[in-house]
Amino acid sequence: MFRRKPHGHSVGNNEELCALADLAEGEKGVVVKAIGGFGLVRRLAEMGLTPGTEVKLVKKGSFGGPVEVEVRGVALALGRGVASKVLVKPVKDEPHD
Amino acid sequence: MTRQLRVALAGNANVGKSVIFNQLTGLNQIVGNWPGKTVERAEGTLHFKGYTIRVIDLPGIYSLSAFSIEEIVSREYIAVEKPDVIINVVDASALERNLYLTLQLLELEAPIVMALNQVDFAAKKGIRINVDKLSEMLGIPVVPTVAITGSGINELLTTVVALASGEIKFNPLKIRFGAEIEERVQKIQKFVKKKLPRMCAAYPARWIAIKLLERDEDIANKLKGHENWAEVLKYAEKQAAELEKMHGEPSPVILASERYSIASKIAKEVTILETPPRISLEQKLDAITTHNVLGYPILIGVILAMFSLIFVGGSFLSSFLESILSDILLYIEVSLAFLPQEIVKLVADGVFGGIIAGITIALPYILPFYIILALIEDSGYLPRAAFLMDNLMHKMGLHGKAFIPLVLGYGCSVPACIGCRIMETERERLIAAFVVTLIPCAARTVIILGLVGKYVGLHAALALYIFDLALVFFLGRIAFKVLPGEPVGLIMEMPPYKRPSLKVVLTKTWNRIKDFVYIAFPIIIAGSLIITALNITGFIDYATKAAKPIISGWLGLPEEAGVPLIFGVLRKELALILLSEILPLETLSAVQMIVFAIVAMLYIPCVATVAALLRELGLKKAIAITFVDVAVALLVGGLAYRILLLVIA
Repeated sequence: MFRRKPHGHSVGNNEELCALADLAEGEKGVVVKAIGGFGLVRRLAEMGLTPGTEVKLVKKGSFGGPVEVEVRGVALALGRGVASKVLVKPVKDEPHD
Repeated sequence: MTRQLRVALAGNANVGKSVIFNQLTGLNQIVGNWPGKTVERAEGTLHFKGYTIRVIDLPGIYSLSAFSIEEIVSREYIAVEKPDVIINVVDASALERNLYLTLQLLELEAPIVMALNQVDFAAKKGIRINVDKLSEMLGIPVVPTVAITGSGINELLTTVVALASGEIKFNPLKIRFGAEIEERVQKIQKFVKKKLPRMCAAYPARWIAIKLLERDEDIANKLKGHENWAEVLKYAEKQAAELEKMHGEPSPVILASERYSIASKIAKEVTILETPPRISLEQKLDAITTHNVLGYPILIGVILAMFSLIFVGGSFLSSFLESILSDILLYIEVSLAFLPQEIVKLVADGVFGGIIAGITIALPYILPFYIILALIEDSGYLPRAAFLMDNLMHKMGLHGKAFIPLVLGYGCSVPACIGCRIMETERERLIAAFVVTLIPCAARTVIILGLVGKYVGLHAALALYIFDLALVFFLGRIAFKVLPGEPVGLIMEMPPYKRPSLKVVLTKTWNRIKDFVYIAFPIIIAGSLIITALNITGFIDYATKAAKPIISGWLGLPEEAGVPLIFGVLRKELALILLSEILPLETLSAVQMIVFAIVAMLYIPCVATVAALLRELGLKKAIAITFVDVAVALLVGGLAYRILLLVIA
């Protein structure tokens, strides 16, 4: 993946982070952090989106609708707003599984 | 003497928990709500090996935090009521995520038997679980089941009884967190034990400590009122803050990560991946029904099918029942003729009129609705529809799931109000139910089309619908802004499609219908009785005179229009029928017709809807919605009268 993410911004070690919602369909990323209210951040962690977890963006809904992601072997639908609050580090090399 | 056992079913949503519940209890169920909550509570009994076993089906949840009412209800039941055994229903095809809840049940120190369900489905996905190893690692009995076929259910019961009677002994896993978390949990635990002995009698001390470290708002509230609560809270707060500083994350995220890493480790050790999964029919179905383009026509198709089933089937049933019942009503009137006329009226119109309204208006639509609701719930289509509509629903402060009750509202408000329980929080349920009462149902459509459509023109009727939709969005947004609480974004599991089981669908429907009849019928009959009594005593004439300033002064309607509007509370289309009996409809001006239709469309939902609101939201909220609806109807009606006069004249 060489694409630069629109909302990407660099952190200390110069690695590109982007919002989960900005991954392309089929792209994977590792959760770095969720930003948002206490309830939202907790809920995301409880549904398995904890820091360090690999997550795959399966599908983006049309008209700015929700995104479908796969995490820990489960498919989740996240509202676009919710998915914009999860920062991920895109996985550069797509493993072949 | 038979011995009693209390068993609770706990598990994630969509793991086949309700199927297991139905396999266990069949028709011996009581479906209702948890006290004071809009959470369905299903309870049933069965007899097994000399035991009478009471089974409670806890709501489907992913965690035991204080996120949703369902989670609070579940953990309170487990912690306080202390059932003899918890059956933790787990989806074998998504073990890691399911174990997250299992670990929290272990934190609550509850006696657990795991039903490892859908092992057949997991096998299809190439996932096999080493059951003995899983049981050994968790220190609880694990029984593989395929609920839909009933396989493993007998063994599950045998294990439950054996565990409860002490025949088999287990040593449940004591979860130990990483050093810096564990140290703090133990510190708080010690402090809690010393300072809050009464709290520790109700809940395990370690659990209180974990929840406090997680900044759980519900436990913090429970502490209040106990001695030393402020001191304990401050102490826990300090520990949580320290931990957060070390990790740079909120403490609940840290603990969730801990639990997930344990769950992930266990899942990896017991899972044997076999053949790589092939693309199944279910996956193809999923791809099509959430497709960015194709998804929408499919959704429209499903809604139309739902509508035709509910309303074509419903109106057929309704007219069929009405023809039978009106004969009975006539017979009653004749056979009571020896009594004074007032009493005949009270019995015939009041009591039997109410029963007939319930049977011919509510039931025929609710029956097909419940069947379809169960089908949609069990098949997995609901999350797909919510996925497609999420964006639009956000415009009125709700998320995708609210789409279902909203659409149902165009048919009948009663099932639509009941459908609002698919929303997660009380706040979302209230907003959805409020919005639903403002959607013109079939009966209101009769008024809009029969009055405005017929005499003013179809374009005017259509304009009313569009105006109503705009109003719904506007008022929904206001409710969203005004009501306290954090709005919930969509975070929803998209479970794989499943073939619904006919048995489960029918038992669910039967049990829910039973519950509805018990709750709604008395209210409908009482409402009908009161209105009839008011009519007989002449109070309605008096009310008409009193309402004259509003009806004629503010709304610009002929003063006779007041009576039909009052009777419209019983059933909305009655408002039009009565109006046409009192005065020829052609004598109304176009403006009056439109205003009458607006008021009828928006004011107080009919008695059956009020009953459903009462059932779903409780007295206070039902009254609040009714009151706001009437206020909105009068306000909008009066404004419309004035504006339309200007525009048309």
